[in-house]
Formats: sequence, C-alpha cells, structure tokens
Amino acid sequence: MSNELRSVTELDRLIHEPARLLIVTILSTVASADFLFLQRETGLTKGNLSAHLSKLEEAGYVKIEKTFKGKLPLTVCKLTAAGKKALTQYRQQLQDFMQKTS
Amino acid sequence: MNNNFPDVEQRVKRYWYTDGIAELASGGMFILLGIFLAAQQYFMENSLFGGLSQGGLVIFLIGGMAIGRWFIKALKARLTYPRTGYVEYHVDRRNTNLRRAIAAVVALLVAGFSLVFAERVASFLNLTLALTGILVGVIFIFLQGRSSGLERFYVLGGTSMALGIALSLSSLPQGYSLGLFYSLMGFVLIISGGIVLRRYLRENPLPAEAERE
Repeated sequence: MSNELRSVTELDRLIHEPARLLIVTILSTVASADFLFLQRETGLTKGNLSAHLSKLEEAGYVKIEKTFKGKLPLTVCKLTAAGKKALTQYRQQLQDFMQKTS
Repeated sequence: MNNNFPDVEQRVKRYWYTDGIAELASGGMFILLGIFLAAQQYFMENSLFGGLSQGGLVIFLIGGMAIGRWFIKALKARLTYPRTGYVEYHVDRRNTNLRRAIAAVVALLVAGFSLVFAERVASFLNLTLALTGILVGVIFIFLQGRSSGLERFYVLGGTSMALGIALSLSSLPQGYSLGLFYSLMGFVLIISGGIVLRRYLRENPLPAEAERE
C-alpha cells in the first residue's frame, strides 16, 4: 500500500463515522446546542444520538451538561478543546489525502 | 440524515432566523424609532424637547437594543427552544468589533456627506433618507442575507432601498420622512416576521413532555 493510501487508515475513526462527524461539525459552529436541536439537525433517533454522544463524551470530545433554561430542562452539549483539535486534524488529514490522490 | 456537510454551518446560522422573532423585535424597534424621529421633528421648533432629544436618541437606541435582546431571548425561550431546540452561538468579538467599526465609519461618512451635499440637492432629494434606505438595505442583504442564505432578507434589503429612495423624493421635512421610513420598514419587518413565526409554529408543534429528552 502506498503512503498516500496508508494515510487514510490513520484517520480518527471516532470522528470518521458519519453521524458523529455531523454531530461534531454542528457543535463546532456553535458555542453549545441541546439534545433536541442535535436530534432535529442530524435526523437521528434519540437512542442513536445518545449512543453517539456517549462515545464522543468518553473520548473527551464533547462535554454534556444537564441544566435548565428558565423552567425548561436542557441537555446541553459542547465541543471540548480536544474535540475541536480532533476535528481540525481530521479535516486536514482528509484534505491531504484528497490532494495526494486526486 | 442530511450529510451535506458544507451546508451545516450556514444551516445552523440560519436557525437564529427560523422563527421570525428577530425580525419582529427589529420591526418594533424601527417603529419606535420612527415615532421618536417624527416627534423630534414636531417638537424641534417650539420646545426644549428638540435639543434634549438629540442626546435622548443615543440613550433610546442603546436601551432599545437591550430591550430588543431581552425580548428575543424571552420569546425564543418560550416558543423556539421547546419546539426545535436550544442553541448558543459563539460571540466572535473580533468580528463584532470590526462590524461596529465599519458601521461607525459608514455612519460618519453618511453624516459628513449629507452635511456637505445636502444643501445642494435638498431641493429635489432628501439625501440623508436615500442613504439611510440604502445603508439599511445593505445591512439586510450583506450582513443577514448572505450569512444566513435566506432569500427574504434580500427582499427586505430591496424594500428598504426602494422605500428610502421613494421617500427621499417626497417634500416632507426630513424628520417626518425619516420617521415614516423607519415606521414603514418596521411594519414590513413585523409582517415578514409574523408570517415566518406563524409558519414556524404551524410546522413545529410543541412536542409532548414525554418526547423531550
């Protein structure tokens, strides 16, 4: 396998999964977003979204806080510094791969 | 699932305008500003109010913006967040300061340009009003329309420009014509925001308590 092709195997698989990539991309454009917003924007089911968020939280890419906005209970998600770094790195790696192989 | 990643950022930004609440608040502000400017013109010649109101305008604008922000937050917390979710946007201080600086420079240029040339063209054109219409239109088109990709802001921008230029041809005193411009634009914004809010509420019913989280 050539080095160009091998570089794609070094991609962060946690972020590479489409649903998680979408979640992380959405969170990278805002300061924070709640569970309902993420569910609507991604089109994922509650269970699926919960599972993906848990994986991202375990990896330290997303911080999840249970809070209130007025009387409204909110599950607010934020991208951590590690999450931002991982997304930037992932984009760079993917861009490099595309440039090398095109 | 929508996998159109390049569109994600713009779609998230567009969410701020999805309910029309920001337009309703801006419309209210515009109408109040219109009334204020017309009142300023009316009292200008025969009372102390005219002189005092120059300083009052600044306080009115700052206070109005604070109340507008509070109104938007309160209404979004009541109508939007329970229906389609809560989002907090990044405050890009560098970008905000740059926008403020550009707005201040443009406002100064408009004021200076008006002072220098207003006398020459006052007989057929209310230059300040025409420039105000164009400036407000540019703000709608470039700051809101382009960043959000929503077509209605282009229509609002075009309306502002057309209204500003049309009213600049009227023979009304400047205070009244400016007041009329802001009031009419306020009504246009409220109608636009009202239509958007009505559609939003119809398309996004409140989820049952059990469905939330």
